[in-house]
This record gives sequence, structure tokens and C-alpha cells, in this order.
Amino acid sequence: MMTRPRGTDGSLLSSLPWTMTALAVSIVPHLPYLPIWISIALFGCMIWRYAIEKRRRSLPSAWFRALLALACFLGVLQTYSTVSGVGPGSALLAIMAALKLLETRKRRDQFVLLFISIFLVMSALLREQYLWSLPYLVVSIIVIMTAWLRMSAAHYETARQSFLTGGRLLLYAAPLAVAMWIFFPRIAVPFWAVPMDTGTATTGISDSMSPGDVSKLSRSDAVAFRVKFDGPTPAARDRYWRGLVLTVFNGRTWSMNDPYEGARVHEIVSGQGDPIKYQITLEATRQPYVFALDMPWSWTLERTFMGPQQQLVNARPIDQRVAYEAVSYTTFSTDANLGDYARSWYQRLPDASNPRTRRLAQEMRNAAKSDKAYIESVLRKFNTEEYFYTLEPPPLGNNSVDRFLFDTRRGFCEHYASAFAVMMRAADIPARIVLGYQGGEINSMAGHLIVRQSDAHAWNEIWLEEHGWYRVDPTAAVAPGRIDLGASDAAFQGVGEAWGLSAPSQILHRLSMTIDALDAKWNDWVLGYGPDKQDEFMQRLGMHDPNWQKMMLTMIGLILGLIGLISLLLALRYRPPAKDPAAILFKRFVRKTGLEPGIGETAESFSRRAMQTGTLPADTVRSVTTAYHDARYGPADESAIARLKRAVGTIG
Amino acid sequence: MQRGNIVEKLHTSDEAQRAAIERARAALGGIILGKNEQITLSLACLLARGHLLIEDLPGLGKTMLAQSLARVLGLSFQRIQFTSDLLPADIIGVSVFRQNSGEFEFQPGPIFAQLILADEVNRATPKAQSALLESMEEQQVSVDGTTRALPEPFFVVATQNPGDQIGTFPLPESQLDRFLMRIQMGYPNEDSERELLAGDDRRLMLKDTKAVASTEMLLALQQSVAAVHVSDALIDYIQALVRHTRESADIEIGLSPRGAQALVAASKAFAFVEDHSGAYPDDVQAVFTAISGHRLKPAGGTRFRSPAELCQHVLDSVAIP
Repeated sequence: MMTRPRGTDGSLLSSLPWTMTALAVSIVPHLPYLPIWISIALFGCMIWRYAIEKRRRSLPSAWFRALLALACFLGVLQTYSTVSGVGPGSALLAIMAALKLLETRKRRDQFVLLFISIFLVMSALLREQYLWSLPYLVVSIIVIMTAWLRMSAAHYETARQSFLTGGRLLLYAAPLAVAMWIFFPRIAVPFWAVPMDTGTATTGISDSMSPGDVSKLSRSDAVAFRVKFDGPTPAARDRYWRGLVLTVFNGRTWSMNDPYEGARVHEIVSGQGDPIKYQITLEATRQPYVFALDMPWSWTLERTFMGPQQQLVNARPIDQRVAYEAVSYTTFSTDANLGDYARSWYQRLPDASNPRTRRLAQEMRNAAKSDKAYIESVLRKFNTEEYFYTLEPPPLGNNSVDRFLFDTRRGFCEHYASAFAVMMRAADIPARIVLGYQGGEINSMAGHLIVRQSDAHAWNEIWLEEHGWYRVDPTAAVAPGRIDLGASDAAFQGVGEAWGLSAPSQILHRLSMTIDALDAKWNDWVLGYGPDKQDEFMQRLGMHDPNWQKMMLTMIGLILGLIGLISLLLALRYRPPAKDPAAILFKRFVRKTGLEPGIGETAESFSRRAMQTGTLPADTVRSVTTAYHDARYGPADESAIARLKRAVGTIG
Repeated sequence: MQRGNIVEKLHTSDEAQRAAIERARAALGGIILGKNEQITLSLACLLARGHLLIEDLPGLGKTMLAQSLARVLGLSFQRIQFTSDLLPADIIGVSVFRQNSGEFEFQPGPIFAQLILADEVNRATPKAQSALLESMEEQQVSVDGTTRALPEPFFVVATQNPGDQIGTFPLPESQLDRFLMRIQMGYPNEDSERELLAGDDRRLMLKDTKAVASTEMLLALQQSVAAVHVSDALIDYIQALVRHTRESADIEIGLSPRGAQALVAASKAFAFVEDHSGAYPDDVQAVFTAISGHRLKPAGGTRFRSPAELCQHVLDSVAIP
């Protein structure tokens, strides 16, 4: 085996920092996801490698590097217990880049490193494409291009020149990228799927509710969905965004039955008043639940059905952002018929749980004249007695409702909803819990409503004879501001301070609204550019009956045209000035001599050389050279060109 | 003033001019042996109305070349030996008060001649040097508020000894720019040296040499040089060369636009001497070192040992369009 030299001579000292910068820039979006040891290893290797170059030391031996590579591979395997997927894939790329640094000796190795940088930049897009992804992409690609140019730059070329060249190259490429993006046929079912990291938690509503679940969400201002109303935006107290319905209680946790496709919505729900039409852009939840304004009447999302508790469910988890239109009635009534079995199902409580609550419920029901009066009295109890609405409720034990109602008396919406449902069921009134969102913040700049995770809410539905399911929100009894204003508005208008939320300043608020508006546009126009939008856009461009063949042909035509245009621009920029006929004729002569002219060699000295080799007769060479000189450098003279033509013509 | 005995009527015809050039070259080549390149360059320099700087060690024929040029071209000649105590008045002249007329009378200095040999110009103080250089530039001198024109044509051939360092004032770059060309003499080759040693005394030969051109002829030649054709292709080449000197890492200061103009003028003169139909790239290359050698400032730590080597490298790096 041949051992390659390991020493360094400082020749990479000027370009190495650039390569490392490119690598560092490309790793930035991965940093929050990578195990900390990989980031440390990468930056450590950078410093180490630079020190080696600076002090002209030797690179580590091949054995050492091989062992290190094996150890790192096992480390990634240990961390992720797999090597496929975006997470382990980018981790492997990052650690291999770090190790590659330790054997980077030549320009070729630096090329490999820059290729890895590009891969890292692109793999970050597999995770998520945010609004800032585009500026980040532009910056990182320019940095990588600059690093690339730095390697081959003459030493007098400044970094600024390389940077400008990199930017210019990107500018040449940009129209091609845009053309491909617009015209590359989008298909509904992608050819491939990126293996997503399973087990990475997304903030959002889950399919069960224990005390503390929703209050945990209330700290996240991540966007759950955005809504654009066709008409005026309904008042905050009417904006209940129905999600899933929980029916089963085990004494502490509420959970649901797997929904199946229930009766058709129009048979059980009847809406009153004007229908409200709106579009929702729902962020990925990795859950099958679909949210809509209570009560949804119709919706355009495919493979979505209404379950038996009027919850909307998709056949598949929502893995990426989806947009759909829906129509809802805020005033509605549901099927008044509830079978005996169903009724008992909604009245069921675990036997030995929350005994104090049940006793209290029984007493209060007996004191009340009717179910309605009982409900009133329970709500009044929440309203008038010492109950507090707080984001930081104290922990509750197993009989969570007992603890909450009698001891801690502090809770978030899920505590009230849970307690209320137990109180109802204990009095044999069918009750269930609806999980969803309430309120939302209006972004007047973009004209849409933002519903955040912090708007997550739980409320109750109880079933009353002759009336059907009826919405009761016990939280409204405790903290009416939460319902009338919505969580974010309440927080913003100072009410939130009492709940432990900090009120953001006006400017920050406006800034966040601007970013939200941009984000929505980005989602809508760029990330949401799918088959439908493409079809629509093609028709607007004047393409009749768009299909993938037409788009593909247009794209190819456009790309060829753009390449032609860019080539023309480049040619005009770099081509030497147009050759005159004398130069063309002389070039023909040069070809016929079979000699290669040197750089800066004059026609005269070339001819002398040609005469020495003797492939052509000396007097021919002589006359060609004289005629060429006269035609090209002498005063304008047609006869000189003619002489040159003749002289060159005499050569076979 | 020595005058040629050629037929002056014909001095403006092409044949007469060509004949004059050839005779001048032959006469100069007979005195200065084995230095055809330097002879052609210095002829071209004078025909392009430029001043010449000859830089080399003593005894290599610098003075002889200047004297021969004056004699062959029939120019009035003055030699000024530059020394550290030379004053501007020693070059330009002084106004002397005449008692009998009661007026100041100007006593012209040695500068009032057609060809000045400024010998060892770097020995004089900057003050004396600038007196010479200013008159070179202005073609006139001002004494006591009176401006006096210098004879026409007016050439300065300055010599400089690069070996001397102590007690000298080497010309700064800005002053060097006033010389169209800087050439080096170099040692003669074996054969030429043998001929020199065996032959007659060069100074005696010089005395016997007749002028081959009149002043009128010289002025006509200068006009013909100015009329030499310069094609676009040649301008492209000169621009490429100039651009290279400005962009190359080996050169700190490249050719200025004035330097580029000098390159064009000298190429035309050289083409004329070589009897080309226009200025060729060969002419540009022939004068390039003489034009650029003293105008380019090589970058620090350069790998080139001499300006000539650097100039040759530039020529070898720039393709002829």
C-alpha cells in the first residue's frame, strides 16, 4: 500500500477558512436537531485542521482516521438507532465532513467538502421550508460558491471579487430555477417520500386529555392554522374551532373512541342563520384531525369524513400543510334523538373515582328543579366561588377532579371542562368534551385570522332532551375575557398579565403580524404551489387544458431559450472582439501549418517557425504573412485581403 | 552645424525618406558595432519625438551612441556633464549685465542645442535635474520672466549609471515617465568587440562621418511617423497588454494612459524604421521593454530579476487578438 504524504505546507491557508465557513453556514439549520457531540466534533475538527495547516504539522494517520470514522458511525447509530432518514442522514453528513477535514490535503478534498456543504444545505429543506429558507439558501449558496472560487482564484483576486462572481453565477442560474419551479409538472402523489423522523413531537392537540395537557400548549405561539373568511369575521365568542371529541374518562384522563364514518352530517345537524364560508390553511399535525368552525356543514378536504361526534377526521395523518374551504353554522342544532345505549355511554364514570365530586353533583342535582337549573347552578358555582383561571395549575393526583374542585381550585380550561363533564355525568346528564381552539388573532395586515397553539381550548357538550347536543363552556364562567377576546388578544390587551403571560409591546406585535402575513403568503404561493395552483396558473398564462406533457415541453423550451440567452450574454462578455476576415484567413493558414501558435507569438515569428519546419513552401509562408500584415495592420486596402485569400488558397 | 549633401528637393518623397533612414542606420551601425537593436530603438525614439534614457555601466558606448545620433542626423550637439554642483543656470543660461549697453543680455546655456547629451544625469541634485526635465517637457525655458523657445527638433539623450549608488539622485518614477524610452547598451558580442579592438578609433570615425539627413528631412520623417497606420486590431493588442500590466499580480503599478500613448507612438516609429505597412504587433513587442521597463513597478517579492524579464513575461502572457 502506498502511503500518501501527511505533511502540510500551508498552501491551503488562504482557501481553507472559506471552505470551513461554507461548511459552518451549511450546518446552521441542522444545529437544533443534531446531537450536541456532532456539532462539537465538527467545529473542533475545523479548529484542529486549521491549526495543523497554520503550524505546518502532519495530518492524523490513516489508522487513526479510520478508527475515528468507525467510532462516529457507531455513535450516530447509538443516537438514532438507525442510519436512514433526515436526522441520522444529516448527522452522518456532518460528522463525515468533520472527518474529511482531517484528511483534506489538496484542492480535490476541498471540492468534496463543498459538495457535502451543498448536500447539507439541501437536506435541511427536507425538514421544513420556512419563510427564511429562501434568504438562507441564497446566502449559503453564495458563500459556498465564493469558497469554490477562492480555491481556484489567483492570489491577487480579492474575496470581494470572488463573492461578486459567485453572486453573478447565481443570478444567471436564477431564471432557470424559477422556470423549472413554475413549469415542472406537479403531481398529486409524489414519486418518493422522505422518511420523516418518527417520534419527533409536534406541538398540538393530542387524542387524549390529562390535566396540564392544554395548559402546556398555551405556552407555544406556533401557528396551528390560518383562516380567511369570505365574509366578516365572526365575533371571538363564536369562534370555537371544533377538533376532536373525548368521551371516555378513567378518573384522570379523557380519551376518545377511534372515530368511524358516522351518519351524514346533513342528517343530524341543522344550521340556522347565515352560513359562514372560509378557507383554512392547516399546519402539519401528524394527526388525522381536521379543524373547522363549530359546526362544520361542508368541507373540500379530500378523504375527510365526519365522525359520530361531529368531529372531522382525515383518513391519513396531516403530514404536511393543507388548505381547504369549509362552510359552518355558528348557530345549529344536532339530532335530538339519542339511543339508550348511547345515552348511557355519555353518562359513564369509572366507579371508584372522584367520590367527593359525585356526592356534590348528586346534592346539587337534587336541589335543582331541572337539568337546566342544575347546569346553571354548576356554572354559577364556578363563577361565584373562589375558582381561578391560571396557566400554571398545581399538579393533581389520581382523583383529579376532586382535588381540583375542592382543594386547589386553580385550573386551566381542561380542568373546568373535565370537572364540568364529571359533574354532569354524575347527575346522569350525557356530557362530552370537545378539544379544539377558541378565538384566534386577527392579522389586519394580511386580512386573516391566526389560530395558535396557545388558543387551544377544551369545552363541553351536554345532551338535553328535545334540544340535542348543546355547547357549554365552563371556562367562560370563570374567565369570560378568555372567550370574548381570545387567548392572544386577551394576553395582548393586558388581561393576560394576570395569567402569567407577558404583554408584548406594540412594535413587536406589529412586526410579528408582518412576518405572519409574509409567512402566510409564502405558504400560499410558494410552498402551496401544488397541482391545483399550477393548473390554475397555467390557464392564466394561456395554456389550454394544461397537462404534464405540455408543461414539460414548455419547461424544456423555456430552459433551452434561457440557456441560449445566458450563453449569448456570456459570449458577449467574454468573447474576444469580432474577428476580421484577415484574422480568419490567417487562422486557416495556421491550422494548415500544423503548428500551435504560442501565447503572444506574432505572425512574423510564427511564420519564421513555420518556415523552419518546412511543411509549407517558404515563399507561400512569406506571402501569406506579408498579405496578412497588410490586410490586418496596414491602411485599408481591399487588394491586401485578396492577396491573402489567394495566398492561403494556394495551400492544399 | 553639419549639413548633409543629399538632394534636399527630394527629402519629402517616400524614397528619399526611406533612403535617409537606411543610410542613418548604416552609418550608426558602422560606428556602434553589434548594437542594431539599440540603434533602431534610439532612431525610433527620436523620430517619435521622444527623449531617450540610456542606462548602463560606463564604457559601453552610451556617449558614443548619443554623439553619433547627433552627427548622423545633422543636429547641433551639446553635452552637459551632470555633477553634484551643477546649477540650473549652468544648463539654461544666465542674464549678464552689459556695461556698455546698460542692459541685461541673456547668455544661452548648453540646453540651446538640438540634441543634448545629459551625461550621468543621476549625479546632479534634483534641482538641476528638474531644470532639464522641465525644459524637455515644455520645449522652452523661462529665464527672468522671458520665455525662450528651444530649437526644433529638440532631443535629450540622458545617461544614467545604475552601478553608482553613493552620492547620486536616481530619477524618481514621475520623472522617468518623461523619457519615451529607456534602453540598455549591454556588452558587445565577441565578434563586434574584436572588430572594435582591431578597428579605427571610433572618435576619429565619428569626425569623418557625414550627416545623412537635414533638419527638414528629420521633421518630415517625424511627420511620416505620425501618419503610420494603426489598425483597430493593433489597438486591441495594446489595450490587452496595458490591461494585463494593470491586473497582473506581478506588477504593482501598470502602464498609465500616457504610457499606453507612448507605446502607440513608439510602435509607429519603429514600424516606420522597419518599413512596415502599418504598426504590427512585432513593432509593439520590439519597443515594449524600452517603453514599459521604466514605467512599470514590479510587485514586491517578484520572481523577475530585471524589468526586461518582467516585460518579456507580459508579452508572453498576452495573446495577440
